[in-house]
Amino acid sequence: MSAVTDLLQQVVEGLGSGAVYASLALALVLIHRFTGIVNFAQGELAMLSTYVAWQLVASGMPYWLALPATLAVSFAGGMLLERIVIRPVQGAPELTVVIVTVGLFIFVNALAGLIWSFTVKDFPQPFPDGGLDVSGVRMDWSTLGIIGVVAVVMGLLYLLFQHTSIGLVMRAVACNPASARLSGIRVGWVLMLGWGLAATVGAVSGVLVAPVLFLEPNMMGGVLIYAFAAATLGGFDSPVGAVVGGLFVGVAETLTGAYVDVIGADLKVGVPLVIILAVLLVRPQGLFGRAAVERA
Amino acid sequence: MSEPTTGSTEAAAGAERDFLKVSDLYAGYGQARVLQGLDFSVARGEVCAILGPNGAGKTTTLRALCGMVRGRGSVTLNGTELLGRSPEQAARLGVAHVPEGRGTFNDLTVEENLRIGAHLRTGPRRRGRTERAAVVADLERIYDYFPKLRQRSRQAAGSLSGGEQQMLAVGRALMLRPSLLLLDEPSLGLAPLVTRELFEIVRAVNEEERTTVVVVEQNAQLALDIAHRAHVLEAGRLVLSGPAGQIREDGQVAEVYLGVSVLSRKAG
Repeated sequence: MSAVTDLLQQVVEGLGSGAVYASLALALVLIHRFTGIVNFAQGELAMLSTYVAWQLVASGMPYWLALPATLAVSFAGGMLLERIVIRPVQGAPELTVVIVTVGLFIFVNALAGLIWSFTVKDFPQPFPDGGLDVSGVRMDWSTLGIIGVVAVVMGLLYLLFQHTSIGLVMRAVACNPASARLSGIRVGWVLMLGWGLAATVGAVSGVLVAPVLFLEPNMMGGVLIYAFAAATLGGFDSPVGAVVGGLFVGVAETLTGAYVDVIGADLKVGVPLVIILAVLLVRPQGLFGRAAVERA
Repeated sequence: MSEPTTGSTEAAAGAERDFLKVSDLYAGYGQARVLQGLDFSVARGEVCAILGPNGAGKTTTLRALCGMVRGRGSVTLNGTELLGRSPEQAARLGVAHVPEGRGTFNDLTVEENLRIGAHLRTGPRRRGRTERAAVVADLERIYDYFPKLRQRSRQAAGSLSGGEQQMLAVGRALMLRPSLLLLDEPSLGLAPLVTRELFEIVRAVNEEERTTVVVVEQNAQLALDIAHRAHVLEAGRLVLSGPAGQIREDGQVAEVYLGVSVLSRKAG
């Protein structure tokens, strides 16, 4: 009986961290769908956003005011980034683009260190202490809060893409930019919107994870690897896949850490890498992605 | 409100005749110059066919008209210069281009594809109730032209047959309510019966809505069936221009004297 409770407990913990991976994976997938780019700097951008939130709170702004302000700054920053850094290399060979995003990773990381130093900072926890006890399984408000926030983000994105005209336009651009142009759509603006949106979703993941991991410039490095595993598992083109993949990776990480003695807490970082490798070998397009078909 | 004088009627007639006016058009890709100075006009409400062998510059001509490739010279639509504009700007001026290979949005449903076509009229600034009603009416209009699309309105465009996708691409272009419709090789890869059906619809659209059409085709017979005028391109230059009927006759002449097989049916 207590073994089952223990298992459920681990699953709940896993879903909590999985929700964070899911939101960063969602950001990765959004950008990949719009531009075909894998943004290695996504985690660092989320970290930068988290510092913005920290700075606002530290200068006396209430948390629930600092949060929307941070998301707005992240949105604008993502748009600017697309226009200034990514647009010039759009259409360049893949390796060029990869190197640009890796360069961005290093730049943003160093910039954060320069401004805020590499010492660890406490980040406010927005959710109250304590939690629920459901027949022996403990669910902290913070864990439930994280899952809830990610669910809300998912819901909002779904509404945006499926039920608004701007969402329809964005899907059209992601699907076929040349035809979108011929229909009079200003594709450049839509790409900027996509990057802004991804930066905002990424910022959510940073702000959610910061109270747990503590804020420092390298905070998102590990999260990014889990998010990559999540996006690979779900399929790099599928927002739903990113979320399912994120939750799965979170649970897999917690369970292997808790039950496989050989792995334990130290080696559990290997779990996402094993998942990435396995998916690429068995089903490269991921669970929800479509296989790329190229005409000969 | 002055009385129309003879002069202004003539000017108006000229504007009608030169609704699309291409003068001394040069265009190409990088170093490769494809078009070597084209001159032709299309009257308002006319169907104009551009014929010629592979590599003659037919597709490049259409791309220059809609801003997909840069050109030199002049292209005016109803007096407004089109050269130097991006495809999205050209679309805003009423130019609807159906590219070779269709260019449908395969992840979107048929109806979403059509709504994208009306995007310019339903953009954030133009979301009036009347405009929305007009878009719904337009959807019905397109479905009346293409009944198959109505049956498949909730299906993903990628799941349609080649012919249905081509019809969807044309339908989407018509949702723009264009003043100039550009069709690039609409028959490409389609079965002959489907192609004929498509051309009949284009003819109906042209007759009922007076939409000006420029169609590029390898299948000259088909294009000449619906065209009022035709031009034959060869190596980036016009070698033959005239009413469609005359081109049909002169085509044989061209074939003999110029070695241009403009009327060959091998394509499609």
